[in-house]
Amino acid sequence: MQPILSVKNLTKEFKGFKAVDNVSFEVGEGEIFGLLGPNGAGKTTIIRVIATVLAPTSGTAEILGFDIVKQPEEVRKNIGVLTTDIGVYERFSGRENLRYFGELYGLSGDNLENRINELAKLLDMKDFIDRKSGKYSTGMKQKLAIARSVIHDPKVLIFDEPTSGLDVLASQTVRNFMLNSKESGKCVVFSTHQMRDAEKLCDRVVIIHKGKIIANDKVEVLKSKNNAIDLEDVFMKLVKSSF
Amino acid sequence: MPKNIITIWKKELKDTIRDRRTLVAMILMPMFLMPAMTIGMFKLMDKIMKDQEKQTVKIALSGEDNSPELAEMIKSQEKLEIVSMNKDERKAVKEEEIDAAVVIPEDFQEKIEKQESASIDLIIKSTNTKSANVATILSVIITEFNNQVLQKRFSEQNIDSKILSKVSILPEDVATEKETGGFVLGFLIPLFIVMWSIIGGQYTAIDVSAGEKERKTLESLLLTSVKRRDIVFGKFLAVSSVAFVSVVVAIGSFYAALMYAGGFGPMDATGSGIAGSVAVNFSIEPQAILLLLAVSVFLILMFSAIILSISIFAKSFKEAQNYIGPSYLVVILPVVLVNSIPGFEPTLWYFAIPAVNATLLFKEVLMGTYDFGHIILTMGSLIIYSTIAILLAVKIYSKEGVLFRD
Ligand SMILES: Nc1ncnc2c1ncn2[C@@H]1O[C@H](COP(=O)(O)OP(=O)(O)OP(=O)(O)O)[C@@H](O)[C@H]1O
Ligand SMILES: [Mg+2]
Repeated sequence: MQPILSVKNLTKEFKGFKAVDNVSFEVGEGEIFGLLGPNGAGKTTIIRVIATVLAPTSGTAEILGFDIVKQPEEVRKNIGVLTTDIGVYERFSGRENLRYFGELYGLSGDNLENRINELAKLLDMKDFIDRKSGKYSTGMKQKLAIARSVIHDPKVLIFDEPTSGLDVLASQTVRNFMLNSKESGKCVVFSTHQMRDAEKLCDRVVIIHKGKIIANDKVEVLKSKNNAIDLEDVFMKLVKSSF
Repeated sequence: MPKNIITIWKKELKDTIRDRRTLVAMILMPMFLMPAMTIGMFKLMDKIMKDQEKQTVKIALSGEDNSPELAEMIKSQEKLEIVSMNKDERKAVKEEEIDAAVVIPEDFQEKIEKQESASIDLIIKSTNTKSANVATILSVIITEFNNQVLQKRFSEQNIDSKILSKVSILPEDVATEKETGGFVLGFLIPLFIVMWSIIGGQYTAIDVSAGEKERKTLESLLLTSVKRRDIVFGKFLAVSSVAFVSVVVAIGSFYAALMYAGGFGPMDATGSGIAGSVAVNFSIEPQAILLLLAVSVFLILMFSAIILSISIFAKSFKEAQNYIGPSYLVVILPVVLVNSIPGFEPTLWYFAIPAVNATLLFKEVLMGTYDFGHIILTMGSLIIYSTIAILLAVKIYSKEGVLFRD
């Protein structure tokens, strides 16, 4: 399998503190890959380094052969990144937000409008997309943020806790969106604290603890290796035993 | 120009216009503040001048009986108000209870009759400006009195008093009108342009940088494939456009207020005096307007880039305001200084100091002087400073510290 995303010996230090410690993994086409780990494990930091908003201390990552350090603009063109704790332009409607980002990726005219309508349908945003986004609820903002991150239909989707703050229905909408993307040959990486989501969706997961990878395998394999009934059980056992 | 720069420029303008606070800072403030300041200032100047004209000085006059003639002349001078004193005149002048004291000595009349030279005593306090005026007023009276004395002596000796005719001065004061006209042209306009070049774009600059960081939208913008350089340029053009609009609004409404106040405005008959004379003296040649605009644009570009660089350092809107507040003083202070020193003759290198150079050049152009050395040095240095400031902003945006600063 030809990897679409490959992370190679990635290390990120903040003033001597290793938030990410020599992390390597690969994700292929049509694969959903889970980043799991307790709070402060380094998941968001890994995502930000891949997304080129943070520079790696050492190591690197490649997306479709583009290096995150040497070709950051090419990398950003091919990834759609949703980070946690992110805002929207509150004086603009949802549609205007999407239009702006679409234009920044070079979309325009009917192409752009069709893409916006398509995403509004996929993410169930039709009821509110033309309202001022400053008045959105948490879940509505989250959906808008997801739509914005994939407006340019990138090959690689990287979502940091995409279902946080969403109700059951909205969570399902987002999960279906990720499954759809997988089916159309995308490579999806997402971090979550919802072990059930991970179990349902992920082909493979890594478990990160204190910046280091402590497991990297298919969910089924991890379960049998650790004598666990489900992924949550695997997570508990591995995190507690790795001190 | 890359398309993304235009996209960001347009978006930031739309965003800033939808914010009522920008509208207030960019349009309403200059629109109402400038005329209010202008009219208020003219009213004040008119009042000061009127007060000065009708101001009377209080003096004490003692020894009236020693020369009723002279005493009568002093009393009839309408600018002098005679107050009767029963305490020591020196003390009263010192305590500024009265402005001056005039003493006609006992032997005054006797000396005049003997054809000896006589004198009167004048007690003043030079730190009191009114007091200083008394000497001038008195000398006019004394000249007149001397004339009368001489005339009397000549006629006693049968000499025609015509030989007394002498050269006299007919003063005509034209200074105030021209000076106030020049003051408005050379002082207020440069000051207003510099002021609004900074204030006008300030709100938008903070909003698109620190504000965007605070609202957590900056990361999503940095996640797009747009070059960091293009992001900075787009934002920079938006800030500059806003500042430009507010400079134009400020100068435009100032001009309108001037014409209104000078012409048929709401001012009373007395109030229209100074504004009227300024409005009449106020004329700018078209090429001067073009030059003013061109230099203003470069000034605005420089300030916009600097403010954008400063405010991106800040984590929040508030913090950015704290940084920019003092920097504003750093600019305005030297500008006001070089602007208000009368007869200040700048050497060439003054035209390389940012903001100061524009102020001096505006002043020259408004007075009708075009010095090409000054124009080129001013424009050139402003372009260099703008470029440095923009490159700095791009550099700051290209570091991860733009998002995550400790
Ligand atoms: N900009 C930064 N400066 C300094 N330290 C940071 C910075 N960003 C993250 N860290 C530190 O790096 C570590 C990993 O943080 P990170 O946000 O990647 O964790 P996470 O796995 O996403 O956690 P969570 O599940 O809570 O979101 C934490 O100890 C955090 O304090
Ligand atoms: Mg996180």
